[in-house]
Amino acid sequence: MDNLKEDLKNQIIEQLNLEDITPADIADDVLLFDDGGLGLDSIDALELIVLLEKYHGIQVINPEEGKVAFKSINTMAEYIRNRKVE
Amino acid sequence: MYYISAASSITHQPTFQNVGFSAVIEPLRESSVLLNPDYKGFIDAGLLRRMSKILRMSVACAKDCISQAEIEQPGAIIVGTGLGCLLDTEKFLNNVLTIEGLLPPTAFIQSTHNTMAGQISLSIGNHGYNMTHTQNTLSFENALLDAMLLLDEHGDNILVGAADEAIEFLNEISGKLHFQLTHPITSGASFFILSNVKNVNPLACVKDSRAIGLVQHVGSEVHAFLKENELNAEDLDLVLFSGVGGHISGGVEDVFENLGIAENKSHNYLTYSGIYPTTSAFALHLAIDKMKTDKSLRNVLICNTFIQSNLGLTLLQSIEA
Amino acid sequence: MGVRITGMGIVSAIGLTVAENLQALTESRSGIGPVQYLEESEGLLVGEVKMSNEALRQELDIAPKGISRTSLLGLKAAKEAWGDNQHNSRLRTGIISATSVGGMDRTEDFYKTYLGNNNPDFNILKTHDSGSTTERIAAELGISGYINTLSTACSSGANAIMLGARMLLNGKLDRVLVGGSDALTKFTINGFRSLMIYDDQWCRPFDDSRSGLNLGEGAAFLLMENEKSIGISGNKTIGFVNGWANAADAYHQTASSPEGKGATLAITNALAQSGIALSDISYINAHGTGTKNNDLSESVALTNVFGEHIPAFSSTKPFTGHTLAAAGAIEAVFSILAIQHNLIFPNLNYQTPIVETGLNPAVTLQSETPVTAVVSNSFGFGGNNSSLVFSNHI
Repeated sequence: MDNLKEDLKNQIIEQLNLEDITPADIADDVLLFDDGGLGLDSIDALELIVLLEKYHGIQVINPEEGKVAFKSINTMAEYIRNRKVE
Repeated sequence: MYYISAASSITHQPTFQNVGFSAVIEPLRESSVLLNPDYKGFIDAGLLRRMSKILRMSVACAKDCISQAEIEQPGAIIVGTGLGCLLDTEKFLNNVLTIEGLLPPTAFIQSTHNTMAGQISLSIGNHGYNMTHTQNTLSFENALLDAMLLLDEHGDNILVGAADEAIEFLNEISGKLHFQLTHPITSGASFFILSNVKNVNPLACVKDSRAIGLVQHVGSEVHAFLKENELNAEDLDLVLFSGVGGHISGGVEDVFENLGIAENKSHNYLTYSGIYPTTSAFALHLAIDKMKTDKSLRNVLICNTFIQSNLGLTLLQSIEA
Repeated sequence: MGVRITGMGIVSAIGLTVAENLQALTESRSGIGPVQYLEESEGLLVGEVKMSNEALRQELDIAPKGISRTSLLGLKAAKEAWGDNQHNSRLRTGIISATSVGGMDRTEDFYKTYLGNNNPDFNILKTHDSGSTTERIAAELGISGYINTLSTACSSGANAIMLGARMLLNGKLDRVLVGGSDALTKFTINGFRSLMIYDDQWCRPFDDSRSGLNLGEGAAFLLMENEKSIGISGNKTIGFVNGWANAADAYHQTASSPEGKGATLAITNALAQSGIALSDISYINAHGTGTKNNDLSESVALTNVFGEHIPAFSSTKPFTGHTLAAAGAIEAVFSILAIQHNLIFPNLNYQTPIVETGLNPAVTLQSETPVTAVVSNSFGFGGNNSSLVFSNHI
């Protein structure tokens, strides 16, 4: 099990107050901003930017950057790993 | 005449979807809590997860009203709130002063006073007139007056209501400022559908309403209001009033006595609602519910004298009158 | 249809009176600069009113304690609009103000002390609620009776004007002071920062490179009177408000719909009510905050309503900053000034049209063509959209 991805799921559930959703309900490749997926919106995108700073020490200056990074749990984990290497 | 075709309240009393509640409620105890319905039945889960207490109460009452009135869409949404979204305001203010770095935006977004009216429009896809009045203890009366004005102009089904939420900090303020409140600080939301056509089964009529800020003489204002509506004090079958200081000399009870309103006809509605700025909306629902079960009540006056400088007057009449 | 405007007052980043504001507008002089009065991060660009609370209190003759900056700014503008008018028992006079922060400027000070356990003065909180800011202004002006406050985020000021006009037309009042006031606060500055739409550079409305707004503060009021009131006051009419409408976008909590639904409805309905033809609109004072989302959505709405013949338009927010609940009132004063002096104000900091819509706002001051009718837009959070139509005739 990928710990980073599990942590992310828990952090997202807490940050976005996703009642009734458990980490097991969020597949690694589910589209976070798709209505068929988690159905998140632009306010959630900003909350995810806060999440990255709070839990991972990563600053996102341009909200547009988030759009690509926050596609799924997989892309978020990849984004975090890439930024940490920098 | 403005007909009320729906009424819905979420409060510390069993008011929600409970016609006849006025006969069973008792004076509020210090330990009372907000009686929340299961909000999932009224609000989409995606919206619900972000909503504070005041938003949940408002949207659920609004939806309940729309279903009671059997309408697709209200013609307008008008909300009164004395203190607005206190939970989110306090949360964001705290964050601003304590967090270094990026702040979560949700509490800020939902701290504006028009979040209730906005969330109602969003929940039901309404594109009509959308307004929020915030004038301390007269916020509801001002919202009601706006709704009546709209009916004079267009004549649509207007969703009008009020909401306020308590936070623990209010009790601390009240203590520090020695308010010596006679009733607990509470939360509550009450919404109504107002129409100028006599729809199916209207609950009651609003004959007239008035909001007077920085009022000088409560007695003469009440007298003038009754006179303009061609009523004498003895025509009133019930008077619901508010006052936080108990029976004081020169207070509202004395005003009623001077006007000749019998003591057994007047009740302090704060006893049932507890204290929040827009309790006169609770009083309106209470009056409607009483009128529904007791046909002898034809003329009912709601006299909002919650704080001395503000006077709100709303005259209700039964449909048969 | 129209309601007479007989007085106006304003205080903003570009001036402390109507005359000072007009001069700055004609000189293309912005009032936005690094923060001076509010305790905030150095270099932050804001549109502050260039007057301290103490100076405001002295000028307005207010005792040192117990009044918020929002009330002080509002009172200053309301006094200018009220002018030498007298109270008269035959005239029902009301006041409708708009504010989004109310007394938050003082609440912030309190809360900081409170969190630090430094014996805070709880009395400060008596000026927190929005209604109290209006009550204070009313009390100072001797107005009682109809006192009301609207709070619909960034469209509040326009809504106060709309409600005032409706109250007069429906015979509920004889004259009414309408407007709005908002002071700069840490709360709102950090709020817009948290939304990542606060521009650290000059705001650039309708420019393709725009990346957010600069906040401002200020207040403005209009005095509106019916015929009976004018018969007694003898006041000269300086302009008319002819049309007004509010509509909900019902799209998203903060974002405007890409098709500009609410904005299109508001502009269309206000114009329809005014009875003024699209082709007779000389100028549009746009909401134009400088955020990606608003300016695109507003551009789409303008195209929806006016097609290929969009009148000269500009956002004056690069002059004043976005003054939130005061914006609609401040821009109403600018709209009347445009009509009085045949002016179209420049959209400062503009260079490149937005790719998707390609609209070009006015970039220089225009004073050659008559300005007879103006549309003013104000759009707020919660999808609250309002438009007003002003003109030189009933």
